[in-house]
Amino acid sequence: MKPKQFIPLIACVLAGVLWIFIGQNFVLQNVLGGLIAGGGMDLSLFLASASSPSFQALWFTSAAVTLIWLLTTTKKSPLNSAEVREMQPTWWICTTVLVLLGWFYQLFFTVLIWQISGVAPVEGINTNYFQVPPGGWITLLVVVIFDVGLLFWLPTMFASPKSYRLVVPGAMKFLGGR
Amino acid sequence: MNIFAIGIGGTGAKCTEALVHLHAAGLITDQGGKNVRLGTFLVEPDQQSTLLARTEIAIDRYSKVRDLIGNATESFAASEIDHYGSWSPLAGETPGVSLDQVFSKPVLRNEASGLAALFDCLYPPEEQKAELDVGFRGRPPIGSAVMSRISLDKAANSGAWKKLLGDIQTASGSGDPPIIHLFGSVFGGTGASGVPTLGGMLKSWLQQQGLSKVRVHASLLLPYFDFDGQGDQGTGVHAEARNFQLNTDAALQYLANNGKACFDQVYLVGSDIKARYDFSIGGRSQDNDAHIIELLATLGVRNGCRTPEGREYAYILSRSKEDQISWSDIPDSGVIGKGLARAARFAISWRKNYSLEVDAAQTTPVKTFASGAPWIRKYFSMTEESTSKSEGRPSIRGQDQLALKQAIDGYSATLIQWLRQFSRNTGLGFNQELFSEDQLNCEETYANELQRLVRGSAKPTLAEQNDTVDRIKVLMDELPESEIKYKGVEGLADSLWKLCI
Repeated sequence: MKPKQFIPLIACVLAGVLWIFIGQNFVLQNVLGGLIAGGGMDLSLFLASASSPSFQALWFTSAAVTLIWLLTTTKKSPLNSAEVREMQPTWWICTTVLVLLGWFYQLFFTVLIWQISGVAPVEGINTNYFQVPPGGWITLLVVVIFDVGLLFWLPTMFASPKSYRLVVPGAMKFLGGR
Repeated sequence: MNIFAIGIGGTGAKCTEALVHLHAAGLITDQGGKNVRLGTFLVEPDQQSTLLARTEIAIDRYSKVRDLIGNATESFAASEIDHYGSWSPLAGETPGVSLDQVFSKPVLRNEASGLAALFDCLYPPEEQKAELDVGFRGRPPIGSAVMSRISLDKAANSGAWKKLLGDIQTASGSGDPPIIHLFGSVFGGTGASGVPTLGGMLKSWLQQQGLSKVRVHASLLLPYFDFDGQGDQGTGVHAEARNFQLNTDAALQYLANNGKACFDQVYLVGSDIKARYDFSIGGRSQDNDAHIIELLATLGVRNGCRTPEGREYAYILSRSKEDQISWSDIPDSGVIGKGLARAARFAISWRKNYSLEVDAAQTTPVKTFASGAPWIRKYFSMTEESTSKSEGRPSIRGQDQLALKQAIDGYSATLIQWLRQFSRNTGLGFNQELFSEDQLNCEETYANELQRLVRGSAKPTLAEQNDTVDRIKVLMDELPESEIKYKGVEGLADSLWKLCI
């Protein structure tokens, strides 16, 4: 990997860590809190018990998929342009899987884990899941898409090596200049 | 510096073919390492000869690349070539002419009966009656008789000879006097008779013209092949392998006595292990593969350009292993090995990858194509509909670009064919450690791996898994703009030439 690819990759990883582990909770609490908490849900408890674990799981998954992508493209020696472009559908599948997994993590940590364990997430409430309003769900799903962009699209766009360096969507536009 | 190469007969044509490929690879240089200008001329009574046609194809294809590229490359196809055509010593004679018709035997019998008797004494009836359309049938006496009728003074007034001799005169006026290099076998018919005869004529003509600085060199090939099978009664007089040694002895005796009157420098090359060719009387059926000996004979031109006049040392060329030839057996092996390895790697990379990529780009939106081939942005316009230049880069769909691509395709195919022929045509129990024959094919299928193409010391010192066309593409993509002087197909070929080794 060339320095001009390595530096943006490190920057993306640092930005991802800072965002997922620090910045995102701040934004969800102070900017999008109204949409997510809706009618009186304990937002701090939700962020600590459901939102943070689900986004952290997404971070680990994205990091793993990004690593696999970079290793695969580094190792390959494509025959021609068509063979390089054959990786585009693979990239889209990775992205789609990451978004779906991100959504699943939200559902799992907000609803399923409490249902399975039979424990109510909030003491004194009968429902054994976080009661996130529809607006909150939509917000979380959109944030997942944004996170996949930050955690997978940007690093793969900046750091896909050798013949694969322009194969990620947007790379031609942002990196294809001479 | 100017080199005028004259290939005489089938072997002479094959040596000229090898010379064209060495010249295209930039391996024929003067003492200062500068590329020379090569002029080629072929002398062959058998105008249907496949060997002649093959050499002319190689010359034409390289010339076409040169014409289309002009001076728009730094390294690739940078050596100039000019072909003066092929000439038959029987030009102007009726088809199927025989020796007795050439010398008008009935007239001779009437007007100089003594000469007619001498003619009968020198040439048996079957040689007198043999049709010479297919060459001199492996009989030097026939060739000598026909060749000695040539008058360069007359020839200098018309046709291909006029242009050739005119250019020799012009080139001799420059600071660096030209070299005339003749190629031919000493064991066949046309070469054995034509090389010393033409060499002597050229020396005399040069002296008459006051062009004593022009040197005449020759690469003479001693027996290096035998025939599988032989002619029958239907073929009439024909070349026979059993006569090769006799012809060679006679030619060497002649050279020992008269060589200095014909040549300033002589390179004698042969092989104790013989290649096997199917018997052919001549014409289209004479399709002998190229041979490493022809390459070695051609290296005499390189040596001649770099050896100062007056050096009269005898050099001996031999091989280190009895049953094998490797790069270390080739003179100046470091440079020649690298140069030929570069040419082979270029031809395979071009023909079996880059050319197919340019074809594929014709039917794919240019930016989509570039997303899988970043290197293409360095040489071609990224404007979709453009068929002209944009940002100084031509469209990959421009007709001029496609014409040049096809010209390079054609020359690459010819080069691969020549390399494959001499790689496989080694003779029984003898092998070469230069190229892998199985890697040298022109099939229009993609290839990526280059590591097995070149063998031995000329093989690039790269990790095997890294020696791919893809690696070259990545290097191209990383080239700074300052290192890409030319754009379009010419720039692409030039960069590939520089990076492929």
